[in-house]
Amino acid sequence: MLELDRVCAQAGAFRLKDISLSVAEGESHVLLGPSGAGKSTLLEVIIGLRPPTGGRVTFAGQDLRNVPAEKRGMGYLPQRLALFPHLTVRENILYGPRSRHLRPSDYRAVVDSLIDATGIGLLLDRRPDTLSGGERQRVALVRALAARPSLLLLDEPFSALNESLRHELWHLLRALQKEYGFATLMITHDLSEGFFLGDHISVLIDGEIKQTGDRDSVWRHPASVGVARYLGIRNLMSGKVIESAEQAVAVECPAVGGVLRVNLLPDRPRPEVGAEVHVGIRAEFVVLRDADHPPKEGEFILHGCFTAVSVAGTDVTLLFQPEGKDLVLELGVNRRLLRRFGIKTGQPVMVGLPRRDLLLFTS
Amino acid sequence: MRFGRATIACALAVLAVYGLLIVSLFYFFDGTAILEALSSKRVLFSIQLSLVAATVATGLALAVAVPAAYALSRYHFRGRELVDAILEFPIIVSPAALGAIILIFFSNPVGEWVQEHVLQFVFAFAGVVLAQFITTLGVAVRFMKSAFDQVPTSYEMVARTLGATPARAFFTVSLRLAGRGLLASGVLTWAKALGEFGATIMVAGTMAMRTETLPIAIYMRLSTADIKGTVALILVLLALGLSALYLAKFFFRERRART
Repeated sequence: MLELDRVCAQAGAFRLKDISLSVAEGESHVLLGPSGAGKSTLLEVIIGLRPPTGGRVTFAGQDLRNVPAEKRGMGYLPQRLALFPHLTVRENILYGPRSRHLRPSDYRAVVDSLIDATGIGLLLDRRPDTLSGGERQRVALVRALAARPSLLLLDEPFSALNESLRHELWHLLRALQKEYGFATLMITHDLSEGFFLGDHISVLIDGEIKQTGDRDSVWRHPASVGVARYLGIRNLMSGKVIESAEQAVAVECPAVGGVLRVNLLPDRPRPEVGAEVHVGIRAEFVVLRDADHPPKEGEFILHGCFTAVSVAGTDVTLLFQPEGKDLVLELGVNRRLLRRFGIKTGQPVMVGLPRRDLLLFTS
Repeated sequence: MRFGRATIACALAVLAVYGLLIVSLFYFFDGTAILEALSSKRVLFSIQLSLVAATVATGLALAVAVPAAYALSRYHFRGRELVDAILEFPIIVSPAALGAIILIFFSNPVGEWVQEHVLQFVFAFAGVVLAQFITTLGVAVRFMKSAFDQVPTSYEMVARTLGATPARAFFTVSLRLAGRGLLASGVLTWAKALGEFGATIMVAGTMAMRTETLPIAIYMRLSTADIKGTVALILVLLALGLSALYLAKFFFRERRART
């Protein structure tokens, strides 16, 4: 439905480079990236408010090169929502259909059902500045969908809301999408939001798409060290390949003082012997071992102690330092494990790095 | 707290400076002089001329300034920096010099042709309007630009994605949201045009019952050492200006109450 083919754009000194991605009908595509990665610039190009300096954007088979924003037929939900403060909620919602010169009979049923689905029926005569944060989001969603766009673009619209309200709106967006069948392209820097809402994820860093794929593959197998770091993998160790076979490689890692054996993914290139690489592992995949929970086959075992214990709600982050090494590994556990192992700072402990969870990044 | 008090003292000092000057007028205040001035055909003509000329000049300035200010606020185009810099031109060269420049223009072949075939400006009502228009245009654009700058561009972006053409987005969103600032800018532009003197006297002269605006009438009274008459006319000008500002504020309050 939406296709970007090697799109380039300039915003001041910042450049978007060769962006290619596609959004299929009814798909939820999330563009993840840190602040300043160029996400909003890319959205402006797609909407038609910033001309690309190269490449091609097509929507529903039409080249959008000379198509102005008002004729592209996409819905847009910006970060600050931009509800028109001088109009009532009803006037805000009807702004789109009226601008497109639709007859009331063409949009009334859709608008009424959207109002019902979002529960904003009692707000129609109010002005945006009298609404709560959640009400404003719902109104902005209905306004963006009132003209029945087949693609809705969202620019971090839920970023200013509290956690529970955000979850509520994520579910609402999912439900609306299921009912009305529109596709979404959402940009966000929030990993939990991105992985909750996105069937398909693209990671944009420094103006370039570093990885694109379905949600699980991106989460499980980041394509590079940069993507891994952005996706929250902080346990990254550099090393050199000393054996390279069809399905696995052996990497000598001075940081752990040994050789890590890492499985290779079928779609990733096999590094040559001698190649400089990084091995990574998610904090939640590093396992605690003791006499009751002995190491399993294929685990690389490290002895050391915890240097810090941080508790945030039910999640606990532990910092582990192997004996005589400069390396610090992060472990993600829950409160139950914290109690079971009686974890304290300075306590000697054994941790395991399961081979199946090790990730290989060629430098 | 000490800093806060210091800034408040400065604010009160501003009031003191202008208040002292206004109060000092009353040393020469003469009620009969005011009544006499207000019943004089020549003074009434000056008031009428000032009001009409300032209104026409402001209308013309706004017709150019609103779209120009919007362009400066929203678009990056070749020559934008130059346009932005030239807005201060009327302030830098002073109104008198500006009037002289206008006169010099009308002494050139192009200016002479305009006077002959289009409209007589020098020593005419059109000259008064032109002088006020040129003096206020730059300031009007500057004021209006800051009014548009206050409106986030995201409103227009959303309006466009909802199907509005750039013109519809301008008229239904940007203009409405910048409205209060634009009206305030319009009133200030009008007040500046009303008080314009230097350029007007250069271009239109001091012809009684023809090009004598209120500020020029004040100058003429003072040049004949008629202090009481001068004070009377200053107070009339002051009353007109303050009434306009008060009306504008009243209007804004009413609008705010309704929105």
